Amino acid sequence: MKKGENLVIVGCGGVGAPAAMLSRKLMPEVNITLIRAEDRFIVR
Amino acid sequence: MAGLVTGESIVNPDTMFTNNNINVIIDRVETVNREDKTVSLSDGKKIAYDKLILSTGSSPFLLPIPGNDLEGVFTLRALVDAEKVRAYIDTKAPKKALFIGAGFLNLEVATLLKKSNPDFYEMTVVEVLDHPLGLMLDTEMAGTVQTYLEEKGLTMCMGEKVIEIFGTDGHVSGVKFESGKTVETDMVFMNVGSRPNLELATAAGLEMGQFGIKANEFMETSDPDVFAGGDCIDNFHFITKESTPIQLRGPAVIQGRLIAKRLAGFDLPFPGLLGNSAVKLFEKNISATGFTEEQAKLNGFTPVCATVDSVSKHSMIPGVLPWTLKLVFDKESQKLLGGQIISDAEGPLKEIDTINALILGEKKIADLVMLMCAGNPDCASEPSKEPITIAAEQALQKARK
Repeated sequence: MKKGENLVIVGCGGVGAPAAMLSRKLMPEVNITLIRAEDRFIVR
Repeated sequence: MAGLVTGESIVNPDTMFTNNNINVIIDRVETVNREDKTVSLSDGKKIAYDKLILSTGSSPFLLPIPGNDLEGVFTLRALVDAEKVRAYIDTKAPKKALFIGAGFLNLEVATLLKKSNPDFYEMTVVEVLDHPLGLMLDTEMAGTVQTYLEEKGLTMCMGEKVIEIFGTDGHVSGVKFESGKTVETDMVFMNVGSRPNLELATAAGLEMGQFGIKANEFMETSDPDVFAGGDCIDNFHFITKESTPIQLRGPAVIQGRLIAKRLAGFDLPFPGLLGNSAVKLFEKNISATGFTEEQAKLNGFTPVCATVDSVSKHSMIPGVLPWTLKLVFDKESQKLLGGQIISDAEGPLKEIDTINALILGEKKIADLVMLMCAGNPDCASEPSKEPITIAAEQALQKARK
């Protein structure tokens, strides 16, 4: 992805949360939005 | 659920994301609009994307039997489910609990509760298969687990099917088996698998596979701008390369990280699932990967197997504990297909990851007889009792016949 592009992630479980965190590390200039329905989530 | 920690103590705060410049929205996505590349939230707001990741997970499967909606019937998936169970236990003080399904989730819950108050709880586990942990263990390996659980006070009803949950005043009071037998209970745990959450993807017109959203080895869906991973996709098995309903957190995490790598320009294909899993039941540590002997046969292989007893430390070291390893090979190709571990010590449990790596490397019997493991008297068996090598040697002899 290129600088300024938008990455949207739906869901924050086993896939969503790691995808968001590693995307930030690998693509620091991409806009990342994480959307989840739950108030709380577990990352183990 | 065991009441040992609070819910808040096992969740990460959203600052983990916001401190990393990740925008977090707590809302339900109602639609994915692929034409204008937006998602719509419940308040009507639209969020634009260049690339979208769908990780909508799965939901517990509720057996369609009478009484599945009675008070005191639980499934377990998320923190909120565990908190409901905990609240029920705290307010109703149920003494009898019945578990429909003898997979690792139900057995972990049963053992947790039993350990918390051994003399109080009366636990019954009902399983339609003839042995517990049917996706992890072969019959004879599972037999030792079943005997162990019975010694710990669990009533194990294998080969039985629950056809009805009955109750009084809307509250569960018992279940009925297909065999006609009835069992009284104060609560029911129904954990018999889960179903992918596909509403968003289906409405968006994404192509579906046998068990979920169709995705290639790069987690790309039929829309090149939409990725998907985890329980909601049509996963494939590493050995057969065919669709598999396996849903586990471990591969979901790897798939999530793989999507990030793909978006950043790496071309790393996902190898497929092997069903690596582990469970701790009282003091028994159990893990498995790949095919059991029974699954190998079902998938058209002629398995060659070996089961080896070993020890957790050198035999002269105090505290040495036994463990057992079973390996499954394909007689024709001689490739390793699977492994199962049952251990009284925690350490050997993770040797399943070695088995997993050997399967992923498509290693054969001859490769495994050369495996030279690191050893230390306090934390590993003697080299002469290293069970992977010994099991491979036994398989080598069997395969020659």
